[in-house]
Amino acid sequence: MFKKKITIEKDLFERAGRFAKDKGYSDLSEWISDLMEEEMKRTQGGGPEGDKDEEEIKKKLQGLGYIS
Amino acid sequence: MQMKNVLVAVTYILILITGCGQQVSEPGKKVLILGFDGMDAQVTKSLLDAGKLPNFAKLRDMGGFSPLATVLPPQSPVAWATFSTGLNPGSHNIFDFLSRDPETYLPSLSMADVDDPKRKLNIGSWSIPLSAPEIKNFREGVPFWKILSDNGVPVTVLRIPVNFPPDECGHQLSGMGTPDMLGTMGTFSFFTNRPVEKTSETGGRIQEVTIQNNTIEAVIAGPSNPFKKEKEDLSAPIKVHIDPASKSAEILLQDQRFFIKEGSWSNWVKVTFKLMPLASSTGVVRFYLKEVNPYFELYMSPINIDPENPALPVSYPKDYASELAEQGGLFYTQGMAEDTWALNQERLSDEAFLEQGEIIFQEQLRSFQYEWKRFTSGLFVCYFSTTDPYQHMFYRYIDPEWPGYDKERAERLGRVIEETYIKMDKILGEVLSTMDKETTLMAVSDHGFAPFRRAVHLNHWLVQKGYTVLSNPSREESGEFFENVDWYRTRAYAIGLNGLYLNLAGREKMGIVEPEEAESLKLELIRELEGVVDPENEKKMVNKVYRGDQEYSGPYAKNAPDLVVGYTRGYRGSWQTALGAAPATLVEDNLKAWSGDHCIDPVLVPGVLFSNKKISHNDPALIDIATTVLDEFSLSPLPAMTGKDILE
Repeated sequence: MFKKKITIEKDLFERAGRFAKDKGYSDLSEWISDLMEEEMKRTQGGGPEGDKDEEEIKKKLQGLGYIS
Repeated sequence: MQMKNVLVAVTYILILITGCGQQVSEPGKKVLILGFDGMDAQVTKSLLDAGKLPNFAKLRDMGGFSPLATVLPPQSPVAWATFSTGLNPGSHNIFDFLSRDPETYLPSLSMADVDDPKRKLNIGSWSIPLSAPEIKNFREGVPFWKILSDNGVPVTVLRIPVNFPPDECGHQLSGMGTPDMLGTMGTFSFFTNRPVEKTSETGGRIQEVTIQNNTIEAVIAGPSNPFKKEKEDLSAPIKVHIDPASKSAEILLQDQRFFIKEGSWSNWVKVTFKLMPLASSTGVVRFYLKEVNPYFELYMSPINIDPENPALPVSYPKDYASELAEQGGLFYTQGMAEDTWALNQERLSDEAFLEQGEIIFQEQLRSFQYEWKRFTSGLFVCYFSTTDPYQHMFYRYIDPEWPGYDKERAERLGRVIEETYIKMDKILGEVLSTMDKETTLMAVSDHGFAPFRRAVHLNHWLVQKGYTVLSNPSREESGEFFENVDWYRTRAYAIGLNGLYLNLAGREKMGIVEPEEAESLKLELIRELEGVVDPENEKKMVNKVYRGDQEYSGPYAKNAPDLVVGYTRGYRGSWQTALGAAPATLVEDNLKAWSGDHCIDPVLVPGVLFSNKKISHNDPALIDIATTVLDEFSLSPLPAMTGKDILE
């Protein structure tokens, strides 16, 4: 795995570590990676794969009278 | 020795006739079910009282008439799946037009799906399918016609919704849920030289064309080529010569040439897409020449699967669709054929839409008549769609409270719905005049109808109340597919036409509501939602909120929405809510031609039941039909079927 240092408040680091464990992640790195992916997906409209999924969904629903 | 051979042959023939050795139940028995989508109990009763439905009145007098309790929510796929299987949605797995994936929060069509073949052989740019496309009907459970067929009863089932691909027994033609050639629920094309702002709109594609020497050259956009490794859309060239003087056009499409006058529909035309050398796929289309000049406007229907050469299984046996086409001509195979979006978008006028509806009705009638004439024993179920789309699109002419009400047009078109019911009455008249006394007849509908005046943005309400949290609150709204929703702070969300889900930890990918908090959150949401009023007129918008865990049972109940919102008459979940959007207002006028709806509290929109046998219960329900039909053939329902026999 690629390693890079980031600066973070100690208290936040500890709370986040506990939260990640509670959520079932093996460690904080795993949770942070997941979070980053999700955030990028959300703010960037899902990236190429997400866009493709949404495009495909829209295509299959196209013409259904009840939705626009 | 010769005699022995004859006996063996006779026995073999008998086995074939009686369904591979299974016992024939009630030989010679006949049950006919006519399904009229969306036939409303209240409208029916008032037309009966006015003496405008003489054949329904006759049937009522022979046996009975009753409102028929629909399902929760009262949506056609949910209702017809219950009709077919005698199961509640928790057992047949259809809860809405749309289902949602808790992993992605994305919606998808609940009825069926067609996926690419799993096995392919890649050669250069080609990708040769080695297996059939993956087609899945999401309706679970066993339809009553399959039980009958397994017991040796001949069955014919025409166009019943959520039957794509069709069940493999008897004769079946698929209905609602059947896609067009593009894999959509119906995508029209519109060719025009009128300046347009965008080339795609809900329901269709707009193709800008130029006219040179009164000639237009364009292409019909077809499906993707399944034989290509990289996505490549197929197309077919089309040429149109217009004659402004006679207001007509000559259309040249592949080897076909035909004329069409302004304001009229073409016959069915075949369009062939070349997939690879020696392989092609055929669809069928109809054109409507809306205008020749000053602007050229040509509508083309969605590319329907050709019943004579179906690219996907629209019938069982496979060649049954072709048999029907041979008898009554080509027909719409698309599940929901009346092009409601083309009317919403004003690509078709009211009048053109009605003409299309009449074409579809006549096609359905011809296939019905073909089967009715040769119906000698067993079960025959036939679905007629017209009542549903006509009420969706023409309610605005019988509802003076609709926000865009136009009195003048209402005077001209305000009788469309009534005339549609009368048309259904005539079908019934044809049946009653030729039916023998031994036949059991039921006429049923899946739900009723209500006005759709105001569209409720349920996700906006959830944002307003803090149940849904926006990632970027300064935008005050979210686009479709929850694009501005912060799932790690969201407790509830709405998707589909009536569904509301908790963002449940352990179920949803980013769920935050712990299971022990779910109960109190549900109670809180129910209390608050049942009190929500339209700020414009202080009217209640929600009649009742139902709990999925109390309403549904069975192996698929886990897929149900946590809450199902039963709107009051006049309201419906907004177009945007269905796809997970949260616009910046709570409620707005619905000004689309789609002005009638039924996705509200089911107690407000019952369907109808008529029968030539006495109805033995005061509260018949759609879920009872399967059990009742099985009982007609002296067969027991399956253990999961909870309906009762409702005929004497």
